[in-house]
Amino acid sequence: MNRLNTHTLYALALRLAPLSLFAALFIAFGLLSDRFLSLANFRNILTQSAHVAVMAIGMTFVLLVRGVDLSVGSVMYLVAVVMGLYLTGLPLVLQIPIILMIGAIFGAVNAWFVTRLRIAAFIVTLATLFIGRGLALYFSETKMVFQSDAVQTLGRSSFMGVPWAIWIAAVVAAAAWVTLTQTPYGRQLYAVGADLESAAKAGIRVKPIVFSVFCICGACAAVGALISASEVGAAAATFGYQMEFPVIAAAVLGGTSLFGGRGGVFGSIFGAALVQTTENGLVMLNANPYLYPLVNSLIIFVAAFVDGRRRVLTERLEQRKIRTEA
Amino acid sequence: MSEVLLKVQNLCKSFFNVRVLRDVGFELRRGAVLGLVGENGSGKSTTMNIIGGVLAKDEGLIELDGRSIAPTNSRDAQALGIAFIHQELSLFPNLSVEENLFLDHFPRLTSALPFIDRRKLRELARKALELVDLKVAPQTPVLRLPPGERQLVEIAKALSRQARLIIFDEPTTSLTAREAERLFEIIRRLRAQGISVIYISHILGDVMRLCDDIVVLRDGQVVASEPRVNFTIERLVTLMVGRTIDQLFPERAPVSGPRRAALTVRGVSQPGVVKDISFDLNLGEVLGVSGLMGSGRSELARILFGLDPYSDGEICVGDTRLVPLSPRSAMDRGMAFLTENRRGEGLMMEASIADNIVLPSLIEQSHGFAHFLRPAQLSGVARGVAARVQVNAKTIDRTAVRMLSGGNQQKVVIGKWLLRAPSIFILDEPTRGIDVGAKYEVYKIINEMVEGGAAILLISSEIEELIGMADRIMVMGRGEVRSFCERANFDRETLLSAALWD
Amino acid sequence: MTEVGNVLTNSSGETLSRPAQALRWLFFSDYLVLALTFVYVGALWPFVPEIVSLSNLVDIFLQVLPLFIAALGVMIVLMVAQIDLSATSIMAMGCVVGASIMTSEGGYLAGSPIAAAAAIGAFIAIGLLIGLLNGVCTAVFEMPSFLVTLTTMMFFSGSAVWYTDSGSSIGSLPSAFLALGYGGIGGLPYAAIITVALAVAVHVGLTRTVFGRWLQAVGLNPSAAAISGVPVRRVVIGAFMFSGLLSSLAAIIYTARLEAGTPILGQRILLDMIGAAVIGGVSLFGGKGKVIGVLFGVLFLSVVDNGLQLLGLSLSSVYAIKGGVILFAAVTDAVRHNLMARG
Repeated sequence: MNRLNTHTLYALALRLAPLSLFAALFIAFGLLSDRFLSLANFRNILTQSAHVAVMAIGMTFVLLVRGVDLSVGSVMYLVAVVMGLYLTGLPLVLQIPIILMIGAIFGAVNAWFVTRLRIAAFIVTLATLFIGRGLALYFSETKMVFQSDAVQTLGRSSFMGVPWAIWIAAVVAAAAWVTLTQTPYGRQLYAVGADLESAAKAGIRVKPIVFSVFCICGACAAVGALISASEVGAAAATFGYQMEFPVIAAAVLGGTSLFGGRGGVFGSIFGAALVQTTENGLVMLNANPYLYPLVNSLIIFVAAFVDGRRRVLTERLEQRKIRTEA
Repeated sequence: MSEVLLKVQNLCKSFFNVRVLRDVGFELRRGAVLGLVGENGSGKSTTMNIIGGVLAKDEGLIELDGRSIAPTNSRDAQALGIAFIHQELSLFPNLSVEENLFLDHFPRLTSALPFIDRRKLRELARKALELVDLKVAPQTPVLRLPPGERQLVEIAKALSRQARLIIFDEPTTSLTAREAERLFEIIRRLRAQGISVIYISHILGDVMRLCDDIVVLRDGQVVASEPRVNFTIERLVTLMVGRTIDQLFPERAPVSGPRRAALTVRGVSQPGVVKDISFDLNLGEVLGVSGLMGSGRSELARILFGLDPYSDGEICVGDTRLVPLSPRSAMDRGMAFLTENRRGEGLMMEASIADNIVLPSLIEQSHGFAHFLRPAQLSGVARGVAARVQVNAKTIDRTAVRMLSGGNQQKVVIGKWLLRAPSIFILDEPTRGIDVGAKYEVYKIINEMVEGGAAILLISSEIEELIGMADRIMVMGRGEVRSFCERANFDRETLLSAALWD
Repeated sequence: MTEVGNVLTNSSGETLSRPAQALRWLFFSDYLVLALTFVYVGALWPFVPEIVSLSNLVDIFLQVLPLFIAALGVMIVLMVAQIDLSATSIMAMGCVVGASIMTSEGGYLAGSPIAAAAAIGAFIAIGLLIGLLNGVCTAVFEMPSFLVTLTTMMFFSGSAVWYTDSGSSIGSLPSAFLALGYGGIGGLPYAAIITVALAVAVHVGLTRTVFGRWLQAVGLNPSAAAISGVPVRRVVIGAFMFSGLLSSLAAIIYTARLEAGTPILGQRILLDMIGAAVIGGVSLFGGKGKVIGVLFGVLFLSVVDNGLQLLGLSLSSVYAIKGGVILFAAVTDAVRHNLMARG
């Protein structure tokens, strides 16, 4: 019994680790900077987290089936380049479905290699990361790509006092939440992530599900590109560079497991807020910008570490018992 | 509607030209519980896997409700109203009970849109759980349920799919006595509702209490198929063991001299796995370990070899206590371990025979500061061992182990340990899945080792094998040692009942 | 691709025509990549005849050397069915720390006769330490190696930039150190001597030492290896440390050639290293890898790179094409693996 209690406590501690990290950062930044704790700044943080949150939601789908997508940053840049170079003449309502398609098709390419040829997702997406960025750089000739007025207006204006970025993120989050929790597809996705073979035996069509999550992730990356490009107004050659880090970190910090089957939308939004708060706090403190990647990687490390420990723990609890001690 | 629900006739099945089922036939009445008993390898699982759509039959006829059926996968079987509840449950622990129940046919809000009707789902789930008398909230994650309740969820799942026939394969191995009692209550209720049940178990007491008819299988054949009242446990055991197939066991020269303990185990315990295990294993003897799957015998072997931890007790080799115990320290003390999972843990399937044989002995075969190896020396050594265990392969340096038959693969595993000339050899199911000829050769190797003074711990589910090979037999159950039996008192039936009785 | 397709369809049939048999043999052999290299050079020859000029071949040769060392490190980690993406950050970190020790412009040991030796020691120590960190996280904490090494890659690349305080490079390195770049003895560059010695050492290490056999065993079946007394965790940690060591040795040659310490050293070669190993027949599924295969892989990638530059393609296209080459290598590996499994 005693043993069980220590287990539960340990599990609880692991569960609360990201939240405590968030609280600690919050207090630290609040104490160190007088500008950090202000309503305007919170609004700022939320707006800045929108694109990370959307992409982390897409990543959550992939992670849920035990995959990973390292190419999201490249998709983001590719979409921004295409939008700024070729779609400027079109109204926004036409631009959006086109970029969603581009993202989804990019994801479908990843998915094809993963499901058909059974190549590890990280190696496929590492390769497409380079291919995607190379392709986009070829289009942009490494020059700055400016966005159309329609896109830029989207970044500057708000609706009912709330910036469009947050509205878009909210719509994506709501759609993702409904999909994951209120549709058979969503629940089957969790089953696939828990145990692919059992899921296939239980009559779930595994391959289409794994295929679809990469398309969803690609489309989410495209939405992330729209939000981010509308705010910046242009895409430099480093646009979306290494975005996979904060995105994976946000999802994993939000409790989505790298080993599949566990996670959700709200956790990823929380993770995105945590990642963005850190970045915002560092800006507020006028920290050396070269420190940002160091802090970011430390956060990912903590997330991955906690996730690994938690998996070991659940595995131990799941082990078949031969005897039940009285 | 006839009274017979399922009729099986002349069912035959072979694996790699080895016949595992010969003309199996029986009938199952509507609303009856049929017990299926037999030793390991007697063909119970194969028969049920064919009916449940997991395997395809070679020959024979299966009739359900008078219609001939041949399910090719578990979905087919499900559609026909056959549910197969495996020993390893197929629930997803990260989903709730209700979601597990209806994972592939969720009720929808409207047929056009893919949204789950949560209210209807809960209602349906509640109804399904009532059928099995399980009082948990439908939205509880399966992760939180103990094994017994998970089993009930699985049964509820079968019932919610209008199963007419439910097959249980060893359902009580991970259940407590109370959970098992509850399961029996539910099976009786199913019977009253006209649902037919096939109940596979080693625990004959349960079979006698629960079943209306009993079919006994031996060596892939039906040896008895009668109403329960015609049986006693003693008769069941006699039928299962049989008298006809006395296997040949090679003679072993008696080892003279006083008994000297090679391995002393005192009070070894690990919560949830084994409790208070004590025994001596002497040089020059074979100590057999008998017990069901899940009795803790394989787990004990892993603990003895330092692969799994133990919380109490001590393990001594000769006079030295081994702390901490690791495979390396065990090996350095002359121990060797043949695992029951040949493919998963015994061999590198893609590597050559020679590479597999020398793996545990690399340090001993190396030279100099950086542990250099001489390929010629290694393949010479490997060739010697391969010849001794008679592995049939042309080139042991190039043939991948994957290409060998099960028997030859097992000889490679034995060979890799023989190279170390172990004084204590733990063998977990050394003859599982290999043919009679290879079995005989494995027995011969064991005898040679014992004659050379080694101590053998032989874990087996085949009583015949233990009786033929062991000097003493230790019976295990539920992670504890039940009894010891000396060679003079060996008796199949007592041994079998000791292991099977629960 | 059509050739590969043919081999695939034929593999299930019983009778193969002779050319098909030859193709099948080539597909599974170490020489596939070498053959592809010649095909590539042959295809480019009419357009850029200078590809076979002596000076260009020497260029390729010199380019191959450090990349080969680094790719051997990637191979060793792939052998145990893990992956190491951190090599470029090891190079960057070693480069800036090493340079800051030995530079004559305010280095810690400026002008000292042991400056170069101490710097080399620093390179190696950094490689081993980062390798140790990767290994412990993967083997002891059971974190996925791709994420661990991505994280260390990001962290130490960032640290290298931060260390130089803006990404500026550190010049004025001692001449004894610079000799490692292009200097040589009797016409043979030191870099070549070092590379050949390392390649031989790795080959011997893999095929003729206990550690090499253990790497293979852990990659093929970690459970079987553990039961056979292989210290699995230590072997995995050792593989990462070995990989770190090789990365730092490659970094020494790169730094000596650049004649400066810069935090962006090696940023471009991550894909080349992994690509060379995978295309050289090192399986992503673990347990398989040969030094000769990696050599061919490195040669292939270097020739591709060189050819693309001669054709005057932009850096971005080179980027995309290299990504494609990796994908192609991974596909080849997967097809081989699936064919073998079907046997």
